[in-house]
Amino acid sequence: MSLDATFTREIPLLEGKSSFKEIDDVIAKPVESKPTIKWWIAIGISSTALLIGAVCLGLTFWYGIGLWGNNQPVGWAFDIINFVFWIGIGHAGTLISAILFLFRQKWRTGIARFAEAMTIFAVMTAGLFPAIHTGRPWLDGYLLPYPNQHNLWVNFTSPLLWDVFAVSTYFTVSFVFWYVGLIPDLATLRDRTTSGIKKFVYTIFSLGWRGSNRHWQHYERVYLILAGLSTPLVLSVHTIVSFDFAVSVIPGWHTTIFPPYFVAGAIFSGFGMVSTVLIIVRKVFDMEHIITVNTLEKMNKILLATGTMVGYAYGMEFFIAWYSGNPVEQFAFINRAFGPYAWAYWIMISCNVLFPQLFWFKKIRRNIPITFVIVILVNVGMWFERFVIIVTSLHRDYLPTSWAMYYPTMYDIGILLGSFGLFFTLIILFARTLPVVSMAELKAVTENAQPKIHHNGSE
Amino acid sequence: MDNIKKLPDSVNKKGGIMLILGVIILLVAFVFEPQRAFFDYLWIYMFLVSIGVGSLALVGLEYLVGATWSTPFRRITEILASITPVLIILVIPLFFGLHDLFHWTHHEVVESDKILQSKSPYLNVEFFSIRTAFCLLLWLVFFFFMTRNSQKQDLDGDVTYTKRNITLSTVFTPFFVITITVTAVDWMMSLEPHWFSTIYGVYYFAGTVVASFAATTIAAVLLKQGGYLDPRIKNDSFYSLGTMMFGFNVFWAYIGFSQYLLIWYADLPEETFWLIHRWEGSWKFVSIALLFVHFIIPFLVLVGRRAKTNIGLLKIMAPWMLFAHALDLYWLIFPTYFKEGAGFSWPELSFPLIVIGLTMILFKVLSDKKNLIPVKDPKLQAGLEFHL
Repeated sequence: MSLDATFTREIPLLEGKSSFKEIDDVIAKPVESKPTIKWWIAIGISSTALLIGAVCLGLTFWYGIGLWGNNQPVGWAFDIINFVFWIGIGHAGTLISAILFLFRQKWRTGIARFAEAMTIFAVMTAGLFPAIHTGRPWLDGYLLPYPNQHNLWVNFTSPLLWDVFAVSTYFTVSFVFWYVGLIPDLATLRDRTTSGIKKFVYTIFSLGWRGSNRHWQHYERVYLILAGLSTPLVLSVHTIVSFDFAVSVIPGWHTTIFPPYFVAGAIFSGFGMVSTVLIIVRKVFDMEHIITVNTLEKMNKILLATGTMVGYAYGMEFFIAWYSGNPVEQFAFINRAFGPYAWAYWIMISCNVLFPQLFWFKKIRRNIPITFVIVILVNVGMWFERFVIIVTSLHRDYLPTSWAMYYPTMYDIGILLGSFGLFFTLIILFARTLPVVSMAELKAVTENAQPKIHHNGSE
Repeated sequence: MDNIKKLPDSVNKKGGIMLILGVIILLVAFVFEPQRAFFDYLWIYMFLVSIGVGSLALVGLEYLVGATWSTPFRRITEILASITPVLIILVIPLFFGLHDLFHWTHHEVVESDKILQSKSPYLNVEFFSIRTAFCLLLWLVFFFFMTRNSQKQDLDGDVTYTKRNITLSTVFTPFFVITITVTAVDWMMSLEPHWFSTIYGVYYFAGTVVASFAATTIAAVLLKQGGYLDPRIKNDSFYSLGTMMFGFNVFWAYIGFSQYLLIWYADLPEETFWLIHRWEGSWKFVSIALLFVHFIIPFLVLVGRRAKTNIGLLKIMAPWMLFAHALDLYWLIFPTYFKEGAGFSWPELSFPLIVIGLTMILFKVLSDKKNLIPVKDPKLQAGLEFHL
């Protein structure tokens, strides 16, 4: 499907004509029906992964983080890689719901709810890692600055502390944003359900929504304000995460392009994950007419743009490392590309920069199987990007006598697996308990919803 | 359209006087203080690159993302982009001043400087000239084809021109980012050849986009108030111009802050000296002024929705942002010349005179030949109907 001769007609978001009732039926179906066998299999797999992670984490708590592969000089490894990876995943949701909303992009409607949910779950998953990385998670309360008898304060000049503020703010605002968007849909579910308990729960959480004109007015206003508030948050969180590295004087970490580069990478990885999950969801829940090929094509364009931005940053880092004339800096980058971890570097380059270039071609952008493969590669590539930044910069630092290789242990890998388990368990539970697409918003963009008659009576 | 109101001839006259006056000042400066004059001239050149090439990128951006609100303004942006071919002539005198501008062109210095020696495969006059020529030619080619397609469409309204421009702008956008980075690194960052910053290209990019939005905005406001634009263009259409200017200005501040914070925090002497030069003597005040003029004041003024549909306010804020960008470039370029403290005297007056004079003449000459809105663009109707 392409644009008409005026290049202005919006592609209908819903393929085919669906009545409002049909929309409700399709979207509410997973919530209102009994789980299928496929669902049980899916949650079986993801909760098993979660359990493996929980066991590894339990052992870590019992014996200490010596179980991990971290060593000197690689003091940050899987834990921080996973943290940055999951925080990055969380960026697509807010970009879609806030920034694309401000840019008046209506195609976001079909995917916004799901992406927002993924943001929340990804941030929850990410939040685990710094907490366990402290080694004594029962003392994590001290991360929050509050007056206490020990007169013990946090280090306000450390970006690691700024992370605490940035991530918790981000989580709170994203959560409120997501919840506000859910209110009209919760009311719809309340009105549809026949079960007494469900009715009770939906009634409480829909906050007495009746869909009156005044309700909608307040709703729209809150939504716009929250979109405005969330927009700087999309940039700030990963900027602060990049500061964790870039304020230090480690070659490969300290470079000024880190903030925008991390943000672009985060959006890139977030869209990669959203695409991965949505391609499955639209198939399983028969929502191919709601989450359309056109939407996926647009997401692929964003993947191409952000992937290329990340490529620009890689290139710039490499060039300036040479241009700086600083031998330590130059070594760090040569070592990345040709040292013992060169394989990780080239995985990163090919998955993040080269493969997304295929999206220049319309045929590939609209081809679901190929898209699925590429977005999985994007997920892989972005995990390895953090591996490259963290491990290869640390393992050979200033003193060759203290160089060492890093090898993850089974506990590292178990916890990584567990983080995927946690994320997907939450996603699968979400898909059965709440509408995965915003029914209210979707109705607003159907063709029937737009008034055909103008104020002056002309058609 | 027969009843088109043409810009008065006085535009040409005023512009011409300003331009001639500016050139005279610059020539006199060349006689008395040649090095200073070259810095002034570089300032002018970089500003015109910002406006010209930045506007070309905005034209491309409209096609690339399929925007409709900007279509009624696109011809204005195209006229601003026609600074691009002029740059090819304007750059020539700069090549006579390389020795005055760039420390790394001094052979005896490079020989005794290990760092500069290691950079010489990149920083040498031959390669430098090739890069500059490449950037200019690339801009010229895209400018030529994109504006030609747009203009031909005025005659027959054929949609294939739009399609062609979509393809062209898709190819142009990555090239724009690369060439603007190269230009920033070559012509400004290498003024302090020891210094380096990976974000520098992004910083200049952000500035160019703000400046080009501001240039389009002020031109559109003036033309609108003079009654030269289609009366169907309403205040709501200006909202998006104001928003984009505001948004990219916040982006500029974000990039500037990131660069500053990271260098300040790491406190490595190989990087900090660049910022210390901008804190020397009266440069302190320029640095602080930049923060307020470029970010804090416009942020507070433009943050509300009503501000962006207020044409009277945009008429102040758009030139304000252009001034801010000029200040930004001054802050980037001149500390290499004025080492003790910021300086501003009669030679620097050539900057506003030449920039404004040249733009006025270009506007008058080109607006006589072209329609001020793309009359048969397929997206025009949707753009005119845009409302909040």
